[in-house]
Amino acid sequence: MMQIIKIEWLKVKNYRSFWVFIGLGLLAMLAPNFVIHDIFVKNIPKEAQQLLGQSMYDFPLVWQTIASVNSYTSGIFSLLVITLVCNEFNYKTHRQNVIDGWERRDFVLSKLFWVVALALLAFLTSLIAVFIFGGVYGKAPFSMEGSRFLFYYLLQVLVSLSMALLTGMLVKRTGLAIILFLGYIMFIEQILVSIVKRFFGNVGGLFPLQAGDELLPFPIVEKLVKFSGPYDSVVYLTALIVYIALFIWLVFQRMLRTDL
Amino acid sequence: MSTILSLNNISKRYGIVQALDGVSFDIPSGSVYGILGPNGSGKTTMLGIVTDVLKADAGSFTLMGQTPSAAQRRKIGTLLETPNFYHYLSAYKNLQIVANIKQTSEQDIPRVLELAGLTARQHSAFKTYSLGMKQRLAIAAAMLGDPEVLILDEPANGLDPVGIAEVRNLIRQLAQSGKTIIMASHLLDEVEKVCTHVAILRKGKLLGSGPVNAVLSRDNFIEIGGPDNQALSQLIKQHPAFVQVLPAQDGILQVTFRETIDPASLNSWCAQQGVWLNHLQMSRKSLETAFLELTNN
Repeated sequence: MMQIIKIEWLKVKNYRSFWVFIGLGLLAMLAPNFVIHDIFVKNIPKEAQQLLGQSMYDFPLVWQTIASVNSYTSGIFSLLVITLVCNEFNYKTHRQNVIDGWERRDFVLSKLFWVVALALLAFLTSLIAVFIFGGVYGKAPFSMEGSRFLFYYLLQVLVSLSMALLTGMLVKRTGLAIILFLGYIMFIEQILVSIVKRFFGNVGGLFPLQAGDELLPFPIVEKLVKFSGPYDSVVYLTALIVYIALFIWLVFQRMLRTDL
Repeated sequence: MSTILSLNNISKRYGIVQALDGVSFDIPSGSVYGILGPNGSGKTTMLGIVTDVLKADAGSFTLMGQTPSAAQRRKIGTLLETPNFYHYLSAYKNLQIVANIKQTSEQDIPRVLELAGLTARQHSAFKTYSLGMKQRLAIAAAMLGDPEVLILDEPANGLDPVGIAEVRNLIRQLAQSGKTIIMASHLLDEVEKVCTHVAILRKGKLLGSGPVNAVLSRDNFIEIGGPDNQALSQLIKQHPAFVQVLPAQDGILQVTFRETIDPASLNSWCAQQGVWLNHLQMSRKSLETAFLELTNN
């Protein structure tokens, strides 16, 4: 596996788009939190703050806030996964890698590495954000209570990245894959969720990204409307794990059996 | 002589097109094996199956006497169809990736770049290369690690006449050093000059395989000419070993005999019949003619 990681590093270390994506991804995880912190904590009238109760960026609420905000912005890493996968198809280097001596499985593992690495990067960045906002700006002492939200977030990012991996492997063309993926995360799933919830009930909350959203309600909104799902968290967590396993299984099926 | 590649009843279908139909043959170690066939005959499909980028519908094959795996592919230098590299990386960095996949030393990169004549441009991005340079880089990548077996699919594609001659010389040198070369080509001239063995494919079917002269029978023939070729044509039909006579260019006759004919005795025989030859040359049917005869039947 170390050899595969080294080869992937050789592929990206001089690839400018890769670094732009990483930079944008990190910025998209930190910047919105600064903005939201400014609006809801720093510049909010004292009376309103009292109504809302504890600040969103105080421990333990900061875990949930960061996880919830970042769950909307870490899609940039999914676009990076699609780009890395589709590049291989565009340049036909997926074939060349196999011709030169990779097993097809190694090719899948090389892309799975990015799914895991980017998920961990998103997780660690969010963790650092929790410490910065909770520790530097927050007024409450450190607490691990609510840290589970960051693990829910990690799972949701893994679902999103493995879905991006599958989209890239199936569609193969960068532009089309990105449009389909963005379309799905931005509105197609929302439409499906609404339809299924309307006609079949709560099961509509078990769509891949929705299951994560149900686990990661935004702290203040949660108080105003019933946002989190009716099922126990275990149900949504199981759904997320099943989706990750399913997407990865489909990727292996696709790459191990078909012509490259 | 051991077998490098052994194909056993390989079939592959794309929709209604039968790309390969029960193809079986063996490639002996140390041979320069030409895979011949018109466009769309299944050459690249066959090599794609051997390199695991395509899956056969039926049949099996062994590489170096073993079940095929990535470990064997790492020992084979392969150029299949187009040169496939990362466009944003330089030649050197692309070869670093190939060297790491092949698990061979990166120290061999300068040697293969020199061999391909790309040393001066090794740090330019692949996307800035001309078609010929891309092909040269693909040849360099195939040579990386000095493999004992090479698979070259149309190696002269996109090269200028000098490049084609260089590749031909390179293949000759490699063959002389005992390497096994499997080469798909539709350039018969290229094959005629370097191959020891051939397999001929047409519409996915194997028409024949083995040593070049055994597969493509290329009987010797003799070109003759005289003052009156019509009379000469009538006369030569009376020769005891005569098989057929065909008109060639410039009024010359192309005559095939049942057995090898000594030109001196033929000249003497004609003189005895009162016809003095002004043209007499031993010739051999070109590979192209033999190939066209075989693939058109």
